[in-house]
Amino acid sequence: MNWNLKTDHYYIRFAHENDIDCLYKLLSNKSVVKSIPKNPMVVEAQAMDLARRMVMQFEAKEAAFWLVEEKDTGKIIARISLQKFNWVNASAQLQLEVFADYKTQAILAELIYAVATLAFEDLSLHRLEWFVMTNDSHTADLVSSLGFTRDGVFNSYFEFENSWIDYQVFSLLHTDAVWQQAIINDGLAKS
Amino acid sequence: MKFVANVDFSGGQLRPLNNSDVDSIVKLYQHQTLAGQSVSASREHAERMISLSVQMAATQRGLMWAIECDGEIQGMLSLYDWQPSSLKTLMRLDVLPGFEPSLQVAALSSAVDFLANKYHLRNFSFQCLPNKDELLINVLEQVGFTQQARLRDYRRISQTEYSDILLYNRILESVVAGEEK
Repeated sequence: MNWNLKTDHYYIRFAHENDIDCLYKLLSNKSVVKSIPKNPMVVEAQAMDLARRMVMQFEAKEAAFWLVEEKDTGKIIARISLQKFNWVNASAQLQLEVFADYKTQAILAELIYAVATLAFEDLSLHRLEWFVMTNDSHTADLVSSLGFTRDGVFNSYFEFENSWIDYQVFSLLHTDAVWQQAIINDGLAKS
Repeated sequence: MKFVANVDFSGGQLRPLNNSDVDSIVKLYQHQTLAGQSVSASREHAERMISLSVQMAATQRGLMWAIECDGEIQGMLSLYDWQPSSLKTLMRLDVLPGFEPSLQVAALSSAVDFLANKYHLRNFSFQCLPNKDELLINVLEQVGFTQQARLRDYRRISQTEYSDILLYNRILESVVAGEEK
């Protein structure tokens, strides 16, 4: 199975040792991590540690992580992951950390379609979840536009900087009409 | 060392499982009206459950209580996915058919109070099956739980079929970073 994907404009590929600097640049950017939420990295050693953990989690079949490289510039613009694989219920949680300039429906549609295709076709998953903070209406609107359905909320999911974080949970099912249409169209809605 | 405390409620008590509960657990898990239960519940599974209940409680990953009224086990109240650092847990209530709902309400209320006071838990949730768990949902609503989400096709029920899950939640007043309750 080929875990390295490509779209019209991007390589969606596994990280290698030369990516530490790029990973650090991405995840030390406040606007990239605030919607997770987590604190931005402050030293490059954190990126090195994270890269190791990404490999370990993949080997344990707990998660898969990709870096998104722009074909034209070679710039790493995002990290995308499938986390919390549940092989019994055939589900996983999708997470995206992306530079603000690239957080558009057209780009997300390209990236998510590639990863969701792998998830549904190669990994035989049935359900993808996307957690969005309840106060992040920009991301919620994008996720809805891509065809994800809002299932509800997980209140007080965890504590971050003295506040309880509430998430909206969105889902995309392999059987959803929007996904079946995406297969026919060879892509999710870009606008 | 005792890892699971006895908790009294009006009309009965919650108590740790012990080796004499095997037959009661088999009986409880042979009622197919309850989610995830099978007609083939066996003594071996029940014994394993009792042994795991101690390990779960010792490591604060989960907890299992027998619900006892008048010396008879009427059900089990359990904690799964207990996350002490996030002060939350997923719960499960399994009862024999005919077990008085008011006693279920009393048992669950006492458990929530106990867990909040003893372990500072504040976020309690249940996963219910639509169209199958009406009695449970009624009990939950009486204890202050509300539906927060309907998770589409969240649980696989056969090789090719999935069921939605109704997520019920009760969150107590917050304790964040040392603030007073």
